[in-house]
Amino acid sequence: MFTHIFCNRLKCLLRDKENIFWTMVFPVLLAIFFYLALSNIQQGEVFQSIKIAVVDNAEYQKAEHLKTALNEAATGKSKLFDLTHAAREEAEQLLEQDKVAAYLFVEGGRPKLAVKKSGIRQSIVKSFLDSYQQTAASVNSILKNKPRDPQQLLNSIGDRRQYVVEVSGTAAEPDSVLIYFYSLIAMACFYGGFLGMREITDIEANISPLAARINVSPVHKLKAFLSSMSASVLIHLAEMFILLLFLRYVLRVDFGSKSVYVVITTITGSLTGLSFGAFISALVKKSEGIKIAILVGGTMTGSFLSGMMYLEMKYIVSQHVPLLAYINPVNLLTDAFYSLYYYDTMSRYLLNIGILGFFIVFFCACTYFIIRRRKYASL
Amino acid sequence: MIVRVKNLVKRYGELLALDHLSFTVNDGEVFGLLGPNGSGKTTAINCILSLLEYDKGEVEIFGRPMRPDAYDIKREIGIVMQNVAVYNELTVYENIDYFCGLYVEDKKLRKRLVEEAINFVGLKDFKGYYPKKLSGGLLRRLNIACGIAHKPKLIILDEPTVAVDPQSRYKILEGILELNRLGATVIYTSHYMEEVEQICSRIMIIDKGRAIATGTKDELKAMITLGEKITVESQHITPGQLNRLRALPHVMEAEYKNKQLVIKSGKGANNLEAVLDFIKKEKIQYGKIYSELPTLNDVFLEITGKQLRD
Repeated sequence: MFTHIFCNRLKCLLRDKENIFWTMVFPVLLAIFFYLALSNIQQGEVFQSIKIAVVDNAEYQKAEHLKTALNEAATGKSKLFDLTHAAREEAEQLLEQDKVAAYLFVEGGRPKLAVKKSGIRQSIVKSFLDSYQQTAASVNSILKNKPRDPQQLLNSIGDRRQYVVEVSGTAAEPDSVLIYFYSLIAMACFYGGFLGMREITDIEANISPLAARINVSPVHKLKAFLSSMSASVLIHLAEMFILLLFLRYVLRVDFGSKSVYVVITTITGSLTGLSFGAFISALVKKSEGIKIAILVGGTMTGSFLSGMMYLEMKYIVSQHVPLLAYINPVNLLTDAFYSLYYYDTMSRYLLNIGILGFFIVFFCACTYFIIRRRKYASL
Repeated sequence: MIVRVKNLVKRYGELLALDHLSFTVNDGEVFGLLGPNGSGKTTAINCILSLLEYDKGEVEIFGRPMRPDAYDIKREIGIVMQNVAVYNELTVYENIDYFCGLYVEDKKLRKRLVEEAINFVGLKDFKGYYPKKLSGGLLRRLNIACGIAHKPKLIILDEPTVAVDPQSRYKILEGILELNRLGATVIYTSHYMEEVEQICSRIMIIDKGRAIATGTKDELKAMITLGEKITVESQHITPGQLNRLRALPHVMEAEYKNKQLVIKSGKGANNLEAVLDFIKKEKIQYGKIYSELPTLNDVFLEITGKQLRD
């Protein structure tokens, strides 16, 4: 009997085009969209040298140390400045035409900065100049008051000693784009709720005539439900693995080195989504349209709060309403994936999976208690 | 006795849907449950099938109490619901095979039963069709095939001909009689009195959850005083003539409306002859004149004071 119901259910689910679209095609399309929209974000974050001009006049030529410092900052692979030597009028013109962020000039033996507007690039140039002036003042002061070993002092001018040791919990590079893809996987897992919802619709006689027909047949209701639900689980897991393979091998999304755990997380997510859909369908005694609205609304809200539409939201929730981060299954799933990628230790990942496991048990238990009755008060 | 329902009471809050309903269905019968919409027919069926909770009463099928887990009883019952209940993603053949498979595990036997059911409802040319491609009538036939493919001893059909074209309706009714001839006991609910009259060997008329009359159609008609309804098409009848007509023996009621004189007379011979004599005597000019025997609607009307289709 299990095989009979299971095989027919597989046929039904595979032929349900609308269902296949929402649970498999839509997440794949969204992944392609994310890939196209986000692939340039990190490229945009690579530091670009700041274009500045320096007024090359007699006073500048006399300021040997400044010349050396500027030349050092304007050479090398990751140079800070892109330096242009110019006459005062020419430098003014370059600034006016926004071809440089600022220009430097020496007046009365002191370097000065001219900017047209304030901004990050201008602040960097100013910080550079402030640092130069502080160092120059310190050196002058030390040479004037305690000139014990001037050469050693000059040699160690460029040294910067760190008094705080940075200990990294990971060997991986932080990658904000991954959060979007992880949220997408979490959302796709929760779209499995559509399958869970349909299983309840087709077994509860007070919801559909089809379910009434099953209920009057000589098959135990829970046996029929479990056979049918097994087909939904299989279909959804297959859809999720297709999505994972697409992300990994077509879009080249990096899941880190813990592939087995990625699979375990996806299975957990899929079961959470299916059981969530079944729970909502069993709990809400309204029309199918209202149930779908609640399921989609719940999933999308969870996805939004986990950072799928606005990355900062994940951090806002964690900072201001941490409890919400722990009761939002979509966030738990996103976080589990990110923990796998980013952290070397497993504690945070296991916490997320543990809470998700609790949710699965909770949703299944509640669904069982609601659907276990075999007679209805009304049909 | 195949089905015994005793003192069944079902309430929906304040509404009494079944009011101490009792009846029995004997082996080999086509038992009709006739009543207007909302009279409690479907509620009664759902209670019999243990789908609905009821407040009071007993239901026995094949001499055993019916419960949700009475799988041995369920195995011998075929249900055709009022609403079409099939999978849109499965073909005609697959749908029948699926539902038959819930009753019959033997694949070879099932294959034969499914083929027989398809031939029985006349869907041989539509085996590979999906339900969405079928007309309303064909869909109803598929619904029936899904309910009867496993050859049950008791078949319950709940308004199977709603919104069905005359050709499919004829086919469905003929099919039900054929199933009965093959040995199945049938419970048939409908609000179409013509259908019930046509196929049912015994009828229970139900209104507001109460059984108001039970018997064969002749027994039911014998329960009322109306014996004959005579209609005369005439251009003019005076109030005096109408009063004199009402005074004739056996005439229970006479009304003249829309150029039609309708005379309801009680049981007795020569009612039509007496009316014709009266027309001749009063020199009333008439076009057509015809006489009808009472219908189940007249039975319902006389007992409840309202039309069956109100």
